[in-house]
Amino acid sequence: MAVKIVTDSTSDITSDLAQKLGITVVPLTVSFGHESFLDRVDITTDEFYRRLAKESAFPTTTQPAPGAFIEVYDRLAKETDEILTIVISSKLSGTYQSATNAKNIVGNKCHIEVIDSAKVAMGLGLIVIAAAEAAQSGASLDEVMAAVNTRIPRSHLVIYFETLQYLAKGGRIGKAKGLLGAMLSIKQILTLKDGEIAPLTQRRSKPAGMEYMHSFVARFPKIEKLAVEYCTTPEDVDKLAELLSPLFPKEQIYQSTVSPVLGAYAGPGALAVSVLEAGE
Amino acid sequence: MKQGNNINGRDFREMFTAATNWLEKSVSDIDALNVFPVPDGDTGTNMLLTMHSTIEEADRTPNGKISVVSQAMAKGALIGARGNSGVILSQIWCGLAQGLAGKDDFNGCDLANALSQASVMAYKGLSNPVEGTILTVIKDAAAAAQEQAAKDKNDVISVMEAVVNAANESVANTPRLLPVLKEAGVVDAGGQGLYTLLEGALRYLNGEAELMQFRKPQMIASNIPLTPLVFMAPERVAVEEIPFGYCTEFMLKGQELNPDKLRKRLKKKGESLIVVGDESTVRVHIHTLDPGNVIRYVTSMGTMHGVSIRNMDEQHQDFLEMQKQRAPATGVAIVAVVPGERLSEVFSSLGVTAVVPGGQTMNPSTKDLLQAAEQSASDKVIILPNNKNIVLTAGQVQSLTTKQVKVVPSKTIPQGVAALLAFDYEADFETNVSIMTEALSTVKSIEVTHAIRSTRLNGLSIKKKQAIGFLDGALIAVGDKTAEVVYEVLAKAEPDKADVVTIYYGDEAKEAEANAINETISTQYPNLQVEVVNGGQPHYKYIISIE
Repeated sequence: MAVKIVTDSTSDITSDLAQKLGITVVPLTVSFGHESFLDRVDITTDEFYRRLAKESAFPTTTQPAPGAFIEVYDRLAKETDEILTIVISSKLSGTYQSATNAKNIVGNKCHIEVIDSAKVAMGLGLIVIAAAEAAQSGASLDEVMAAVNTRIPRSHLVIYFETLQYLAKGGRIGKAKGLLGAMLSIKQILTLKDGEIAPLTQRRSKPAGMEYMHSFVARFPKIEKLAVEYCTTPEDVDKLAELLSPLFPKEQIYQSTVSPVLGAYAGPGALAVSVLEAGE
Repeated sequence: MKQGNNINGRDFREMFTAATNWLEKSVSDIDALNVFPVPDGDTGTNMLLTMHSTIEEADRTPNGKISVVSQAMAKGALIGARGNSGVILSQIWCGLAQGLAGKDDFNGCDLANALSQASVMAYKGLSNPVEGTILTVIKDAAAAAQEQAAKDKNDVISVMEAVVNAANESVANTPRLLPVLKEAGVVDAGGQGLYTLLEGALRYLNGEAELMQFRKPQMIASNIPLTPLVFMAPERVAVEEIPFGYCTEFMLKGQELNPDKLRKRLKKKGESLIVVGDESTVRVHIHTLDPGNVIRYVTSMGTMHGVSIRNMDEQHQDFLEMQKQRAPATGVAIVAVVPGERLSEVFSSLGVTAVVPGGQTMNPSTKDLLQAAEQSASDKVIILPNNKNIVLTAGQVQSLTTKQVKVVPSKTIPQGVAALLAFDYEADFETNVSIMTEALSTVKSIEVTHAIRSTRLNGLSIKKKQAIGFLDGALIAVGDKTAEVVYEVLAKAEPDKADVVTIYYGDEAKEAEANAINETISTQYPNLQVEVVNGGQPHYKYIISIE
């Protein structure tokens, strides 16, 4: 019986891809006031941003309840006896906690492992895809875990922000705090370091930001997987993929949208590139 | 005092103390000559400040040997060097000290050899030595000294006379060697400064110390027809250390209070004094070493309220702590030279660790930069000089500290901003230096100021008060209307290839005019993102970055 792979909706894995690779995605929740939506299930990225533009209140987000994971584990336990859950950085969300609690409640029914990826978005997604591919090819739970653990340090995420105000309001700004209050209009480019948002560099314009993203990817001589994502500007993702195509075959670049839960922090116009470096 | 024989360290120090005072008298005239390498009118000031530091260090040594005194002077010059001319002057002092090493006193032949060594050092200090400058003057002076010493090696005065005569001729000849001087109709300012120093030293040797108090140094006329020129009167902004002590603030309530009188009385008791109010309430702010004295003085006048006394040394420590916390994870500190408070805030908001006040017409000394580097929490320091004239000074810091110091040679504010933004938190020190240096070429800089005298430069005929526009340091436009000059320079900066234009308007520019310029540019180049920032910088009405 093949290992089943579980992740959360902040991995930005599209439903098509999830279906194709047999990945179960547990959604977080995004709420406007009392109205709550399951991430990527009840609300698309497009709908979310349309709503964001109209709402005066800042949206809130919540990790999945342990119950959501229990439900998934119970269902999967009927098909397999080994489940690997890979989730968003525990410094950004309590999802890891929910998944672990659920594992303890489900108990011995099934062998469940939960890994804190210390990543988010496609930085997490690319690792999950690799895990699912390993599972599909018949790897054992230990082998899949090893595949994940060796890839975590090789997964790099660059996020271009039009504005940091959403990140700051949502309290996820991490080490990039010092960048608030710049007296010029600056586009911040951030990364994830030790599971937390951290500054990378700054540029004055989106084209310059994209150029930096290109130079960032170019640092890696061997690339296993590459992903580009957008929040509100699909045309930018085309441009980015085109820009990156000399470094990696364009048709193999995963394209996705930043999920609504992350979008609540990224803000309109944000772009992300994730690189999974090839191993030795 | 007539000195015909050998000269020891004490005499040497006196000789150049007199020469420095002599130089001081013609500082503004020398500033006015300054057109090379940039017409910023501060050569005289920079040389004088460098000499002050040189003499101060000499005064510190009780030893009378020439080797010790000249060594101290070289050290003082190196630490206090300001601007290009100051840096070259410091090289001259280093050469003199090398030439006089191991000696108790010197004769004419020793002097000639030391001057030759000074000339060699001055040339060595520059990656691209240009003739028709202070370099040529020291070279010609040294050659004349050798010639004279060969005739009479014991007579110091005759060697000095030959030196001064040769320097005079050499200065007069500088416009023939350097076209920019010829075009502007001036002799080289740094050369003139060196001549004045040497001439002052000779006068002292000839026993004219008293006479010098009543006379002024001679400005050398070019040996080709000239018309004088100046761009801007130099603005002197002191970059002094903040005197620490106690920041004392309170409100004084009473009857028939006299704020003006109070201000006068408190003035002697401290710094940064602010006294505002009326007959019944006066608010006082003062930095003082003795707050008790201030409080004792005012308690007789009324009642005190909201008294606050803060230890500024502690505040400074807190500030240093804060700087440490701000140091990026990579452990690299960035020190930037920035004119004006507003622009300093811009740089701080973009992540510089320390700002050293300075810029055009107000070059910080090596010591100022050294201090900023030493005080930063990191062992690795990147300096952004943000001005062509400060690049050399910044380059001296590395030799004076055990920290690793690299200069990213930003020559303008826009270049400084571009380099700062390019800083990569994940890259190491060396990589960041190269990333930031590469970023310098990603931005074009426009600077617009006004001429304060009529002249010709770069083939342009300039009238007094006209706006003049520079593109990456080259003067390319002149006109009566500042905005028109801005548009003319911008048109030459390939704006259609750019994404972002940032207009920093200075303290002499009006916000409304800056906004109007923004509107015009935005209409003409709809693809550009234009931003207007109150830079508040002195000297330049507009600094504009195109990237």
